[in-house]
Amino acid sequence: MLSRNLCRCAGLALALFAWGAPTPAGADVPPDVGCRADTGPPEYYRIDLVPTKRVPGARQAKGVGYVTFARSPFGVALTPEGHYVYDLAVSVEGLRPATTGAYVVWIATPDLGAVERLGVLDADGSAKGRVRWNKFLVIVTLEPSAETPGARWSGPVALRGLSKSGYMHTMAGHGPFNQEPCANYGY
Amino acid sequence: MRLKKNRLFLLVLLLFAAPAWAQHEGHRMGAMGDSLAWRMPPMDASMPMMPELMGQRPMIAPYLPGEGMDPAMVPEARPREVVAMADGDTLELEAGFVRRTLGGKTFVMYGYNGQYPGPLLRVKKGAKIVVRFSNHIEMPTTVHWHGLRLDNRFDGVPGLTQAPVESGGTFTYEVRFPDAGVYWYHPHVREDIQQDLGLYGNMLVDSPDADYYGPVHREEALILDDLLVDANGLMPFGAEGPNHALMGRFGNVMLVNGAPDYRLSVKKGEVVRFFLTNVANARTFNVVFGGAPVKIVASDVSKFEREEWVGSVPIAPAERYVVEVRFDAPGTVALTNSIQAINHFRGEFYPHVDTLGLVTVSDEPVAEDLGASFATLRENADVRRDIEAFRPYFDRPVDHELVLGVDVDGLPPVVMQMMAMDTLYVPPMEWNDAMPMMNWLSSVKEVRWILRDADTGRENMDIHWTFDQGDVVKLRVFNDPKTLHPMNHPIHIHGQRFLVLARDGVPNANLVWKDTAIVPVGSTMDVLVDMSNPGDWMMHCHIAEHLHAGMMLAFTVRDAGGADD
Repeated sequence: MLSRNLCRCAGLALALFAWGAPTPAGADVPPDVGCRADTGPPEYYRIDLVPTKRVPGARQAKGVGYVTFARSPFGVALTPEGHYVYDLAVSVEGLRPATTGAYVVWIATPDLGAVERLGVLDADGSAKGRVRWNKFLVIVTLEPSAETPGARWSGPVALRGLSKSGYMHTMAGHGPFNQEPCANYGY
Repeated sequence: MRLKKNRLFLLVLLLFAAPAWAQHEGHRMGAMGDSLAWRMPPMDASMPMMPELMGQRPMIAPYLPGEGMDPAMVPEARPREVVAMADGDTLELEAGFVRRTLGGKTFVMYGYNGQYPGPLLRVKKGAKIVVRFSNHIEMPTTVHWHGLRLDNRFDGVPGLTQAPVESGGTFTYEVRFPDAGVYWYHPHVREDIQQDLGLYGNMLVDSPDADYYGPVHREEALILDDLLVDANGLMPFGAEGPNHALMGRFGNVMLVNGAPDYRLSVKKGEVVRFFLTNVANARTFNVVFGGAPVKIVASDVSKFEREEWVGSVPIAPAERYVVEVRFDAPGTVALTNSIQAINHFRGEFYPHVDTLGLVTVSDEPVAEDLGASFATLRENADVRRDIEAFRPYFDRPVDHELVLGVDVDGLPPVVMQMMAMDTLYVPPMEWNDAMPMMNWLSSVKEVRWILRDADTGRENMDIHWTFDQGDVVKLRVFNDPKTLHPMNHPIHIHGQRFLVLARDGVPNANLVWKDTAIVPVGSTMDVLVDMSNPGDWMMHCHIAEHLHAGMMLAFTVRDAGGADD
């Protein structure tokens, strides 16, 4: 990410220097002025997980979710209804190990109309699963047991985040987070 | 409480947008009368328009082929014919004006040999045919034989492999078919107009192997397209170059094989092999066959390594997919384009379904039950053997890296501001024209789409790579999400075939030879190109408006025999 920003700056600087001095076609140009690709999950669609104050010791925790399209014979993975199908990889660090129970990752639609359990955070703080929604929440909760019986969480929320598509609320409405301090998250 | 708040907000928004509603009405009714004047694009009436955009027009002149012609003097187009061609045969192919009646309205459009789509050529793998082409439309054109690894001089690219065929002119193509599968032909001059108005056709290349595909009861070649019309008729195009330069021209009338009313009748239990081709300027379809089971078999230039069950077929412009579908239950199966569209003003996705056609399944069971063979997913050893020779190259370093982006300058300030705000979230794919007014205003005068060589900084036609015949080249394509208005791009490579090795670092576990592949926003695609075919070739985005807004490069493959040295 940093390297891409750096090369973006370099490109901008080059463009400024080149102002009024167009490079003729065929002339040599300095190498490596282009920005480079990430070869992993798209950084752009990264989901930042924000800690709450509801779990002791979780305030300093941080987490991230990355989406890649689920394997598909096509360039994108879709449901028959047209929803994206993503593999979601969640990684959390800084959480105090649970003395009882387990940290469980959930996904939910923004109105909480549908909730699915993604999986239990392993010893490395990782969990993976599949998402079939375009806009969704990621919630990490402290559950009494790794084998949570319910369809929804019952324990306190340690971290939560919103898919990048959740930023799409600029024109008329603010989605489910009217009270959220979005500016704190940079959007 | 939240609901009330949102309703109140929407009410306020609608009140502010009231003058815009009037504007919508005026344009919808075609109040201007003159069909060659710019008319605002048809748009979802629930979408308020920014007051600043009222009265704005694209900065280029409008153009409509056939304008002023008496439709009655133009021959009525007829459905396509299937033309079986043997090695050495000659086809007379003519691009000309045709009269089309769609939804009760009459339009002057284009057609090959007076047909919609153009004739379906059915040939055997390894055959070579001669096509004597004549141009009877009012502008220069060429014929590009999409996906075929044919001789370079017949690739149909103006300025690279041939001079454009002027109106009244002719050109003789020799077309060879080295690979089985489904291909298509179309112009490579002002594709945004010529292709959009009907200049396209399929080619089905049969393998000599009778068991190449699994057994089916019938085959159907479906060409998917869309057309942009309003009450006045066809929406004008840009004269000097395309408008709709930001997102491409999305149509509002869905067409299958050039018509909006595709119908198919089958017996219960029939297995149908569909050859799907997307010829739309910009639209990626998500094709759904009701609830019928669908098996993906092949794509652009080969079968997959193994068949798979799929729930739908996302197909980008210029891509082809071959699927087999079994219709088990009597009744009507809707063939749909089922998407989650975007409403930027409400900041939400919403389901949208276009019915592309209907399949009627009768009660009468089909004579030969192919249920068992259909239930079997075939492993294609022939494809694996072919790919095996390329496996040693899978881990080679990237030879060239392309970054996809856009430069936008000179659009109305409110459009620039809106796009700047809109960067908070850009979807991986644009399934609908979610900003029709801004898109319609944008033209090649303000928008330049970019393929940038990350090593040299060169862009578009300033890039010219050179390879040797037999080279196996790894290309990395990154669709930069931080450019001002990123969008998905179907990237097409002429004259060669390639494998998509990985997307976003995830290896592809079921390979297939391609000539066109979609790159969603933010994604990185690694492809391995088999540089088998010497000559000067294009690589470009197959959204017609992006191509004409600069998003293309050229490369040379030197003949192993030294002919191109």
